[in-house]
Amino acid sequence: MIKSFFRLALRNLWKNKGFSSINILGLAIGMASAIIILLWIQHEVVYDQMFEKKDRIYEAWNKASFDGKLMCWNTTPKVLARTLEKDMPEVEQCVRVNWPSHFLFSIGEKRLTVSGRIVDSNFLQVFSFPLIKGNPLSVLNDRHSIVLTEKLAVKLFGSSGDAMGKIIKLDNKDNFTVTGILTDIPNNNRFSDLEYLLPWSYARIRGEDDNNWGNNSTRTYVLLKPNASFTILNTKLKTLKPKYDPSEPKWEMFIYPAARWHLYSSFENGFENGGRITIVKLFGIIAAFILLIACINFMNLSTARSEKRAKEVGIRKVVGAQRSSLISQFIAESVFIALIAGICAIIIVQLSLPAFNELTEKKLFIAYGSPYFWLTGIVFVVFTGFLAGSYPAFFLSAFEPIKVLKGTFKKANARINPRKILVVLQFTFAIILIICTIIIKQQIDYAKDRESGYDKNNLVYHFLIGDIEKNYQLIKQELLATGTAVSVTKTSAPLTESWSDGWGQDWEGKDPNDKTDFNRYNEDGGLGVTAGLKFIAGRDIDLQQYPTDSLAIILNESALKVMKFKQPIGQIIKDNNKQWHVIGVIKDFILTSPYEPTKPMLIYGPKSWFNTIQIKLNNKNSTEKNLSTAETIFKKYNPEYPFEYKFTDLEYAAKFEDEKRIGILASLFAGLTILISCLGLFGLSIYMAEARIKEIGVRKVLGASVTSISMLLSIDFLKLVSIAFLIASPIAWYAMHQWLQDYPYRVGIHWWVFLLAGAVSVSISLITVSFQSVKAAVANPVKNLRSE
Amino acid sequence: MIKIKDLEKIYRTEEVETIALNKLSMEVKEGEFVAVMGPSGCGKSTLLNILGLLDDPDKGSFIFNGIEVAHFNERKRADMRKHNIGFVFQSFNLIDELTVFENVELPLIYTGIKTAERKEKVEKVLDKMQIMHRRNHYPQQLSGGQQQRVAVARAVVNNPKLILADEPTGNLDSSNGSEVMELLTDLNEQGTTIIMVTHSEHDARFSHRIIRMLDGQTVTENILI
Repeated sequence: MIKSFFRLALRNLWKNKGFSSINILGLAIGMASAIIILLWIQHEVVYDQMFEKKDRIYEAWNKASFDGKLMCWNTTPKVLARTLEKDMPEVEQCVRVNWPSHFLFSIGEKRLTVSGRIVDSNFLQVFSFPLIKGNPLSVLNDRHSIVLTEKLAVKLFGSSGDAMGKIIKLDNKDNFTVTGILTDIPNNNRFSDLEYLLPWSYARIRGEDDNNWGNNSTRTYVLLKPNASFTILNTKLKTLKPKYDPSEPKWEMFIYPAARWHLYSSFENGFENGGRITIVKLFGIIAAFILLIACINFMNLSTARSEKRAKEVGIRKVVGAQRSSLISQFIAESVFIALIAGICAIIIVQLSLPAFNELTEKKLFIAYGSPYFWLTGIVFVVFTGFLAGSYPAFFLSAFEPIKVLKGTFKKANARINPRKILVVLQFTFAIILIICTIIIKQQIDYAKDRESGYDKNNLVYHFLIGDIEKNYQLIKQELLATGTAVSVTKTSAPLTESWSDGWGQDWEGKDPNDKTDFNRYNEDGGLGVTAGLKFIAGRDIDLQQYPTDSLAIILNESALKVMKFKQPIGQIIKDNNKQWHVIGVIKDFILTSPYEPTKPMLIYGPKSWFNTIQIKLNNKNSTEKNLSTAETIFKKYNPEYPFEYKFTDLEYAAKFEDEKRIGILASLFAGLTILISCLGLFGLSIYMAEARIKEIGVRKVLGASVTSISMLLSIDFLKLVSIAFLIASPIAWYAMHQWLQDYPYRVGIHWWVFLLAGAVSVSISLITVSFQSVKAAVANPVKNLRSE
Repeated sequence: MIKIKDLEKIYRTEEVETIALNKLSMEVKEGEFVAVMGPSGCGKSTLLNILGLLDDPDKGSFIFNGIEVAHFNERKRADMRKHNIGFVFQSFNLIDELTVFENVELPLIYTGIKTAERKEKVEKVLDKMQIMHRRNHYPQQLSGGQQQRVAVARAVVNNPKLILADEPTGNLDSSNGSEVMELLTDLNEQGTTIIMVTHSEHDARFSHRIIRMLDGQTVTENILI
């Protein structure tokens, strides 16, 4: 019997090609969207879950109060790891992982800047990334050992086999021997960007190790012993830091399990709050809704055309079919259609994945070789078929044979019928997404239009690697002398990032309880010209004219507000055992997020540390010419390193990437939802026109115009869309209001957004149905009435 | 075979109450060929629907083969129907998406008969109806007479005890109509009970007995044989 159901389903599909195409296409788009989202969700859920010992791996975090708020963060003192191993019996071992480091790799004539990590030598024992070559127990024991990923080994040596035992020079200074080759780390892992591992002893050689409990600058991972209780350990950790640093009596620490790192590690006032799981859940809801809408389409189109199946239902019942058998038949048919749609969906997914991966910066793929994929696929298709076919199956199987066979069967056209409710549901969701898309775009533009406070044009920066710092003055002079640059300044970090912040500065009139956290930035002079900063008091650092400027400090407006100086120039600020004198105040500029208010900032003078060289290119030359000359200069004074500059304006634009991505995804989903809904509307409008063919013929004969008939056919659909708009608006308002609360700097929600969304949906649905309405209205009434 | 007593069927709308059957009583013996005639609206279609267990009466008794079936639920009616009753309609009522073979096979599927046995039975009955050469055609490819022969084949494939025919020649020309009436007569001679609703006096003469109805009641009975 199942075979006959599928055979009949195929014949029905072929007989009604138009409707079948609309049905299958709508379902395929819905399924494809759901599949892509589910792939993304899977990627997020398994992120950081590949470790063999993941149930025992934790990350150490700090928890302390600043400005009355409890803050949590996961950079910890370098001394913590060994302290935990010594003091806590629950701990099996700890491993420190430093920030990503970028070294110049030299092998013969080959030069490459590569990103990797300096780690404790037991890194591979804790994280168990598989080694293709080498022993995880000893591979990082030697202070001059290095472990490469397979990809890097091939890049450097042509093959991973050739790499073992080879020597690599780092930063033109130190030789390292390749002692291990690591399988490439998959991209759903926090260490996926690393291409090599260096032993912690190298950090010590570089002077990057310390025993300072106040310097939170590294990540500490903890492997607990089997059956050890992390709750008990967390209780003990509450008092660990005060024990070693009595100046912080209320400073707590805790360990956080690997299972929660990626999705839940967002804290507010000391407690887990939100995190990436919110987006995962949201995407899950969106996937479910898109699939639901596609299924609703299917239900609508199937039941709308029920007259065509009514006779068959009647006959089957007459010859003895039970209702259950008819339900089985219709569900089998819809599972069959879902199967065809599923195959189409896989093709759509495969074609769309490259673009989606580019948009989300992921590497999603379908694991065709995995039996899990096929099993899930079958369940997904069957589930979709059941969902889509359930309502039509029950609806169609309820027909009474005497009514349908005698031709007295008339579809109910009740004021409220399920089909209308389904259309309203579809468009409600679509309109919510349209409103959200508009508001997200507004939020992005609002932040983009916000005055950054400095001039990003023609501003590039380069990290102080190799001999750049040593030859800084020569490089600077030559850049200026050649007319390549109009201003050059050394700074501690790019102008788009905060690399240092802290509290503990002292100034006259400071409240002893004040723990305001200041962004710290350093410059060696002329940053005002280089970056176009606006001074509202005093002047910029100029060491040549004012030698005492080595200990000068500049405040931003927000810092001045905190410090409450009436006369800021000349004030003394004590920090890190030095006394800095204020020489200037600048207008706030955006260092970190354009969505947040500007933080108080202190710009320290030359007696501090530097990491970058900022170059204001001369706009009288083309950028290409400037960069070409700059490269020549850098190559002259830093020959071993490639010239790797970055544009500040591009780095600034990257701050909007996340929101831009969300905006694009929201518009994509809105577009898909509208498309699917319109496919359904199109199908329904064809059917409606067919069903009212006699009525249209009669009206035309009686003198109705094409316009009035078109409106007659369209008005029902427009009413439904209007109802959907009224339901969608408050839901969308609430959702966006909640989302915007995450942004201290945010756009308001305006009434015209809702009007625009309503107008867009009504217009799109009008266009969709009007084609059929006009076609029906211009048809020859005689032809229609004759056949009736 | 069939005994109905004081059968009542009333159709109610918001404003109107229509008495379709008004305390109707009748009996049909096994092997009889009965024609039911009457003007439009007299209740003959309603009677046929109730006899075919497609509808249930509001009051009264309906005994089919010794079993009281008047107030069977839909499940029991469907079960009774598929094992005992075959239908022939005026407008043939074949399923357009199924071939001739598949249309005739349909009742056998619902009685759970296995594939090989179904094939044998269908071929036998198609042969009998002289429509075997069209077994793979679809209804829309057949003439009216051929379609009605397929419908008759479908009605008899399960060897039902009773055939209900609702104006079986209504959509056919006289030649095809006569052919169909001869088919029904043959079936009756082989022992199948037939109750036929018809407007045609010509067709009614093929029956053993004519029951005339008016306003939901039987008014006369003419025995022809």
